[in-house]
Amino acid sequence: MGKADQQASGYHRIQLFLRRVEDSLLVALVLMIIGMAVTQILLRNVFDTGIFWGDVMVRILVLWIGMVGAMVASRKGEHISIDILSRYLSLRYQKLVSSLVEFVTFLICSVTAYYSVKLVIGEFEYGENAFAGVPFWLCEAIIPFAFSVIALRYFLLSIHNFTRINKIAS
Amino acid sequence: MTLYVIALTLIILGVMGMPLFAIILAVAMTGFYFQGIDLSVIAIEIYRLADTPLLMALPLFTLAGYIMAESRTSQRLVNLTEAFLGWVPGGLGIVSLFTCAIFTAFTGASGVTIVALGALLYPALKNTSYGKNFSLGLVTTSGSLGLLLPPSVPLVLYGIIAQQLNLGVEIKISDLFLAGLLPGLLMIVLLALWSLWSIRGRPIPRASFSGKKALASLREAFWEIPLPFFVLFGVYGGFLAISEAAAVTAIYVIVVEVFIYKEVKISQLAAIIQKSMVVCGGILLIIGVSLASTNYLIDAEIPMRLFTLIQAHVHNKYVFLILLNVLLLILGAILDIFSALVIMVPLILPVAVGYGIDPVHLGIIFLANMQIGYLTPPVGMNLFISSYRFQLPVAEIYRATIPFMLVLLLALVAITYWPDLSLVFLNR
Repeated sequence: MGKADQQASGYHRIQLFLRRVEDSLLVALVLMIIGMAVTQILLRNVFDTGIFWGDVMVRILVLWIGMVGAMVASRKGEHISIDILSRYLSLRYQKLVSSLVEFVTFLICSVTAYYSVKLVIGEFEYGENAFAGVPFWLCEAIIPFAFSVIALRYFLLSIHNFTRINKIAS
Repeated sequence: MTLYVIALTLIILGVMGMPLFAIILAVAMTGFYFQGIDLSVIAIEIYRLADTPLLMALPLFTLAGYIMAESRTSQRLVNLTEAFLGWVPGGLGIVSLFTCAIFTAFTGASGVTIVALGALLYPALKNTSYGKNFSLGLVTTSGSLGLLLPPSVPLVLYGIIAQQLNLGVEIKISDLFLAGLLPGLLMIVLLALWSLWSIRGRPIPRASFSGKKALASLREAFWEIPLPFFVLFGVYGGFLAISEAAAVTAIYVIVVEVFIYKEVKISQLAAIIQKSMVVCGGILLIIGVSLASTNYLIDAEIPMRLFTLIQAHVHNKYVFLILLNVLLLILGAILDIFSALVIMVPLILPVAVGYGIDPVHLGIIFLANMQIGYLTPPVGMNLFISSYRFQLPVAEIYRATIPFMLVLLLALVAITYWPDLSLVFLNR
């Protein structure tokens, strides 16, 4: 096995590991949201009480589920898009167009990630809590994190498609 | 000038298949940049995903739908409706329409109805007087039937977006659920009549009613039958908010399918959660970024300007509604339903309210159009799903589906120009 192969398989392993983490996180978040929501309903309707930060937590979990789900969806570039043009293009042009579009997506997500980091830093300095001792900045941190991951994935997709252009006989 | 160049570039990128969330982000960024506002505002707007309690309904109803689609719910539903409605003249066609509508209301018009139920119904339908062509059209049409019935996720999403616009009119999700009932039923009834008309002069397929069969199908679906009732009872009895009803539905469906019917293994559950949340993540991301673009649109008073512009040419509410229907039918064929909602509702709803159209009524019109858009050649999504599922050329599906589309257009006219059909149960 050459050195390049070893590197490639190491890269592969890291990717596989990250995917597992994402998948498990997604499942954990969903179970948490169902658990908390149902607990709140029971407490309110049966015992006439409730966890006062429970509703806030549930709402923040929705944001997290959305962001982590969006990260997973960008693995294979499975985000919702209007796809009218590609079926009329040759395979070569399809690759070119995808590569271009994915690169622009990468740029836009990077800008979003940069400005959301600014927000999180500001919130960190402000230092207020969202619920039960959990600070706001930590809840918000998923936004720049997700956009960085999505940007990176679209960058990789773009490179991948770009290198394929010339491999396809025109 | 620069703005027009940017707008044109974005439209071209969109047609080239750039993810919609990225396009909406770019619109928001451009807008805020030219207004001289720091772009961190976009992150603040996305964070508003955590300020909308109702949004919880989206992932949880979606999850419940995915779990039901993975279990044998569809088979039980067919058995049940067949046992109770099979004796009606033309029974199987009508059974199919009702089953699909109920299934779609719970699973969303994601095409899963065609894949899961179509596979059960099409072979059975084909062998009756209905014949191949008609059955194909019916199954394809049924894939989006039920979009107007509670607790359909697109209805919830319309409500969420409409509430963000602060129009000064109350738009409750529970009102939207009530408003969808009669229009949804009208579509089913018209399609049922069309089914009967299409087999005139031929032997009418009907089965005799068997009490034993009915009882068996009831027993079989014992755990699933209460679901629609306790969702409705919980919400209208004032025990549950819509988002809580979604949580209860999700946990109930998990318990029933995993522990009682044992058709979904615990080990599969993780994969189903993952699959459904990827879809949801895509939708939530679009909603998040559209909160930012919508805020910009409102800041820049674009809906108001649009209204003034349209009003200069269209003086009459009914002419406006005709134009709206044409626009939405085209959009419904090109865009998927969630993108169409987040992009178009913030633009159209303020204009429609300007013409004196009730926001709840507009929601029903909007979704009825989208439902037909699913069937509109050449790019309606149901056509492709059907072609893929039944391994038939798309052209054949076009021919089979067009008569059904015309029937639904008739229903659309009634829904659009007869507001009371939607609003009769509401105190408006």
